[in-house]
Amino acid sequence: MKTRSACYVCGGFLLLVLGACAPSTTTKPDGSGARSSDSSTAGQDARSGEGERGGTKEATTGTSSLKDMQEGKPPITPASSPLKDVMFDFDRYDLSADARTTLRGNADWLRSNPSARVEIEGHCDERGTNEYNLALGAKRAQAAREFLSSLGISPDRLSTISYGEEIPVCREHDEQCWKQNRRARFVILQGRSTS
Amino acid sequence: MRSRSLLLLSCLLLSVTKIAHGAVTGEIVGQGGQRFPIAVVPLKNLGANTGDSGRVSTGIADAMVHDLELSGWFRVLDRSAYIENAQSGITLGTFDFKDWSTIGAEGLVKGGFSIQGDEITVELRLFDVYQNKERIGKRYTGRVRDFRRIAHKFVDEIINQFTGVPGVFNTRIAYVSNSGGRFKEIFVSHLDGSEKFQVTDNHTINLSPVWSPDGRSVLYSSFKDRGQTLYLFELYSGKEIKFTPRGGGRYLGGRFSPDGQSIVATLETGGNTNLYLLDRSGNVIRQLTSDAGIEVSPAWSPDGKQIVFVSDRSGSPQIYIMDAGGGAARRLTYSGSYNTSPEWSPKGDRIVYTGRVGNRFAIFTISSDGGEPRKLTSESFDSEDPTWSPDGRFIAFSSNRAGKYHLYVMQASGDNQRRLTGSGGDDTKPNWSPRLD
Repeated sequence: MKTRSACYVCGGFLLLVLGACAPSTTTKPDGSGARSSDSSTAGQDARSGEGERGGTKEATTGTSSLKDMQEGKPPITPASSPLKDVMFDFDRYDLSADARTTLRGNADWLRSNPSARVEIEGHCDERGTNEYNLALGAKRAQAAREFLSSLGISPDRLSTISYGEEIPVCREHDEQCWKQNRRARFVILQGRSTS
Repeated sequence: MRSRSLLLLSCLLLSVTKIAHGAVTGEIVGQGGQRFPIAVVPLKNLGANTGDSGRVSTGIADAMVHDLELSGWFRVLDRSAYIENAQSGITLGTFDFKDWSTIGAEGLVKGGFSIQGDEITVELRLFDVYQNKERIGKRYTGRVRDFRRIAHKFVDEIINQFTGVPGVFNTRIAYVSNSGGRFKEIFVSHLDGSEKFQVTDNHTINLSPVWSPDGRSVLYSSFKDRGQTLYLFELYSGKEIKFTPRGGGRYLGGRFSPDGQSIVATLETGGNTNLYLLDRSGNVIRQLTSDAGIEVSPAWSPDGKQIVFVSDRSGSPQIYIMDAGGGAARRLTYSGSYNTSPEWSPKGDRIVYTGRVGNRFAIFTISSDGGEPRKLTSESFDSEDPTWSPDGRFIAFSSNRAGKYHLYVMQASGDNQRRLTGSGGDDTKPNWSPRLD
C-alpha cells in the first residue's frame, strides 16, 4: 500500500509534466535500423501494414490512441516503432512469456534512450462493460509499467492511461479481432535518442 | 462557459387541471398475455387553425399510442378500424359508446386542443367503454413544442388508472451514442426519442451518464481534458463542475445516492480501482474499498444504506453488496464467470445486471438476498447496461440484436422487449431518469 501511494504522487506529477507536451509527436531520428530486428517479437503479429510515415527512417510509436481517433486514424503502432505492443488474454492482466519478451525488448530501447518518457496505454476488447474494461485496461498498463520498472526503467518515465474498450485497433466482432485489441501500447511523449 | 443547456429545449412549464374525476378501477392487466384493447383518437382542434394543428392532432395521439404499446399492458386498436363519424364529440354524451364497443375497444382516449401563439391547451379524457363512463379528465397548458410531453403525462395517468401506480413515460433516458461517427457523446431524450438533447460535443470519449435524483443534472465521465474524469452537468443552467481527484488518479464513473447528497465513484490509482464516497462537488468524504483488484460499477440500494458493485477479488468479475459506509462485502452472484453493471431496483427486492453466457452477454435479475438469477434476454445476441425505470416495472438496456447497438425497453419480467432508438450509430449505456415534473 505504501508503494501505491508513492505512485499516485509521481503519477500526478507526470500527468502535469506530460500534459504540457502531450500533443506533440516525438520522432526518433536515428537507430530505427538497429532496432528493426525486433519486429519479430510477440505482439507484432497484430500489426498490419499501414502506410503512414512511409519513406522516412524515423522511428516513432505514433501518437496517442485518442489523438489517432480524433484524426480518423486507426490507433496502430507503426511497424517501425521501437516499442512493441504487449498482448493479453481475455479478462486477464498477467504477463505471458511472450509479453515479457516484448517488454524486455522495450526496456532495452528505453535504457539506450534515457531521456524518453512513455505513456503506456491499456486497451481491451469490446466484450464486457465499459467501466470494468477501463479498470482492466488500467491493470494491463500498470502490469507493463511494473515489469519495466523491475527491469530497471524508472517508473517516473512511464505514465499510464486506460482507454478500456473505447479505441479498438480492429472493429470486427470475433476473436481474431478481439485479440488484437487486448493490448498495452507504448507512446513516446518526449525524449530523443541520446546515441 | 458553454451555452448548451436544456433551457434551449424548454423547461417544464406544463400546468395541469383536473376537469373531471372517475373512480379508480385498480384493475391490473395480466403481464404478457392479455392486453387491454384501447382506442386513441386523434385530437380535435377546438381553436383556430394554425400551421401546427394537423401535426399536433395526430402527434399527441401517436405519442400516446407509442407509450401504451411500450408498456406492454395495452393493445392499441388500429386507427383505420375506427367507425365513428367526424361530428362526434369528445365529452360524455356527445358520442356513442357503441361505435367503440363494436370494434372491440374497452378503453377510449379522446381529446381536444387549442393553440394560441406559442401556448397550447390540451384536454384529454379516458373513457370506460363497457361502463359508459369517464375515468380521467385532464386539462394541460404548456408550450406548443412540448405537446408530446403532455401525451406522456396523460399516459402516466392512464397507467395509474389501470395498475394503481403512475406510468413512467414523462421521463428521460441519458445514454451514449457515437451517432455513426468516431466519437462517443452523451445524449438525453424522452423514451420515444423526442426532445433529444446533446449534452456533450467535445469529439472525444464520454461515458457512463447517470441522473441526479432531482432529474436536473447528469454525471458522466469524459476524456475531454487530458485523461479521464467525472463531470457534473446541470441541464437547465448549462453549468458544469469537473471532479479532480486530489491525490491523483482518474474517476471512471459514479452514481448519486438516493438523497442526492453524495456520490459513490470509481477511482483508479496506480492501476487499482476502488470505490470512494464523494460530496456533490467531487471532494472525497471516505474511501469505501481498499482492494488490490478491480472494484467498479457501484450503485445504491433505494434506501441508500447499501452499495452493490463489481469486484474481481474472486478471480473473475462478480457482484457484491456492502454497507454504504464501506466494510465487509458479501458476494451476490455465483453462477457465470463474468457478471457486471448491477443496478438495484427501486423496490429494493431485485438487482439487475449483465452476465456472460458463452461468448454473449445477457440481462439477468437476482434477488438482493441472493439465490437463482433469472435470465431476461436471449443469448443469440448481446444485451448489456440494464437500468430500471423509476417505478421498477421496466428495464431499459442496450442490445445489438439489430446489428448495431440500440436502446431497448422491456418489462421487468423480460416480456415485451421493444426498441427505443435507431440512430445511425451505436446507442449504449442508458440511464433512466427519475419521474420528471
